[in-house]
Amino acid sequence: MLKLENIEVVYDHVFLAIKGISLEVAEGGAVALLGSNGAGKSTTLKAISGLLAPERGEVTRGEVLFKGRDFKRLSAPERVRLGIVHVLEGRHVFGHLTPLENLIAATSMHRSRAKIDGLVEKVLTYFPRLKQRINAKAGYLSGGEQQMLAIGRALMTEPKLLMLDEPSLGLAPLLVEEIFEIIARVNRETRMSVLLVEQNATAALSIVEHAYLIENGRIVMSGSADTMRSNPDVQEFYLGGAGRVDYRNVKHYRRRKRWLA
Amino acid sequence: MDLFFELAELSISGALVGLMYTLIALGIVLVFKASGVANLAQGAMAMVGAYLTWACLTLAGAPLWVAIPLGVFAMFFVGRGIERVALRRMIGQPAIMVIMLTLGLEIMLRGLLPALFGPVKKRLDIGIDAAPIIIGPMLIDRAYLVSGAVALILIVLAVLYFNTRQGVMLRAVSDDQPASWSVGISVERAIGISWGLAGIAAAAGGVLWGSIQGVDWTLSLLLIKALAVAILGGLDSILGVLVAGLILGVLENVAPVYLERFGVSGTRDVVASLVILATVIFKPYGLFGREEIERV
Repeated sequence: MLKLENIEVVYDHVFLAIKGISLEVAEGGAVALLGSNGAGKSTTLKAISGLLAPERGEVTRGEVLFKGRDFKRLSAPERVRLGIVHVLEGRHVFGHLTPLENLIAATSMHRSRAKIDGLVEKVLTYFPRLKQRINAKAGYLSGGEQQMLAIGRALMTEPKLLMLDEPSLGLAPLLVEEIFEIIARVNRETRMSVLLVEQNATAALSIVEHAYLIENGRIVMSGSADTMRSNPDVQEFYLGGAGRVDYRNVKHYRRRKRWLA
Repeated sequence: MDLFFELAELSISGALVGLMYTLIALGIVLVFKASGVANLAQGAMAMVGAYLTWACLTLAGAPLWVAIPLGVFAMFFVGRGIERVALRRMIGQPAIMVIMLTLGLEIMLRGLLPALFGPVKKRLDIGIDAAPIIIGPMLIDRAYLVSGAVALILIVLAVLYFNTRQGVMLRAVSDDQPASWSVGISVERAIGISWGLAGIAAAAGGVLWGSIQGVDWTLSLLLIKALAVAILGGLDSILGVLVAGLILGVLENVAPVYLERFGVSGTRDVVASLVILATVIFKPYGLFGREEIERV
């Protein structure tokens, strides 16, 4: 459904952040982008959602296809109408609005009131925690509640592709588990595709079918979740080591990532 | 007892004028909330609205009930036009550029309209009886009463508007622009609408005040009063401008009368400037300025 073909992203006309990334998300599929800080994961998502423009970034090469159509020229709100929604890193809820107003703010594409009420109802069944604090100011919700609100708000647009940037950021492990379960459930029940950017590779690989590993603005590895999980390099560098390795005894050159050699 | 009624009379007419200031200040607040830009063209927009209404009424000979809505709603499109043509090019430019731009617009319009329609003060008669209303020993000017009531209605409408779906989206834009984009809100359009609404607020205020003091370039001096109200209220709070408008209106009406008895005269116009200075020095975020929410 979504296909990136060899895209390049340049910030400020100078800085080349993405150096040719190709990836694909199937309809109803779940895909993860893994990689360390500054690898270009968030930039890739912004290139898809159209949020590069306010940061003076630009896709300078390659094709961004949604259902076979290149939508590079569309603005971010127009892309949301196509069915591509982006949950920003760091949650970005509307802090001075209530959770209910946060959800309503994301309904500019819907006309009928009944539909909006139905969507609110649906989102609140996914995130029952939000119901209890529906009239508080969103800025005072806990980190986990804000993340749920940010995801729920994105679901209000009835996306065909949900992109999540680091939903586990700064959350307790139990909460991460809860949120990932909900994401997996929505993905299963509504056949909505999911593109997930994560540092927490263990959590991410538990709900996706396919994953790409990005480093320095390039894809260095890709494969099914199982293949990635069992890859020794991924284990060592992204899954917290494969069992008991005494790092003092491992020679420096052995610990280098194989694809950098 | 006389002293009490005298004070009450001054306060009531002051408060009524204050409501009109609030209406105009609302335009500054709306634009600031949506886009973080200080709209210093608001005084001139009030003047343009009053001129347009006068032109419909006198030059085109339209009846009152056509001329006023026409003049006021034309300002919606003038406001949007200003945003579309001038402000949108300023995105990403330093704040000082935007301030200079709106101030430049204010000065240009101050010169342009009197040049177009002639410098003589125009009489804008909106059919309010000149005889005051008498409540006990107090006299209340009918024009003030009508202008206060109309302003209050429009302020209430603005508050209600902010709770509609479109209003919620406007508030969302003022909270977080990237997040608004990410959920499909057209930020540019929202900012355009806020300028349009600022135009309506300005024009309504301009017509009300113009009917009292006549229409000429001095109407644009309402900018100073509106700015004082907006700053005292906290620049981004509707409740704030309402309270601040009442405070300024009452102060401005009461203070000069009593100060004159001590031989200090001509203080009326100084009050607004003093309010601006005092607010900036002692309470820079105003009475109801929005606190940044920070979780601990």
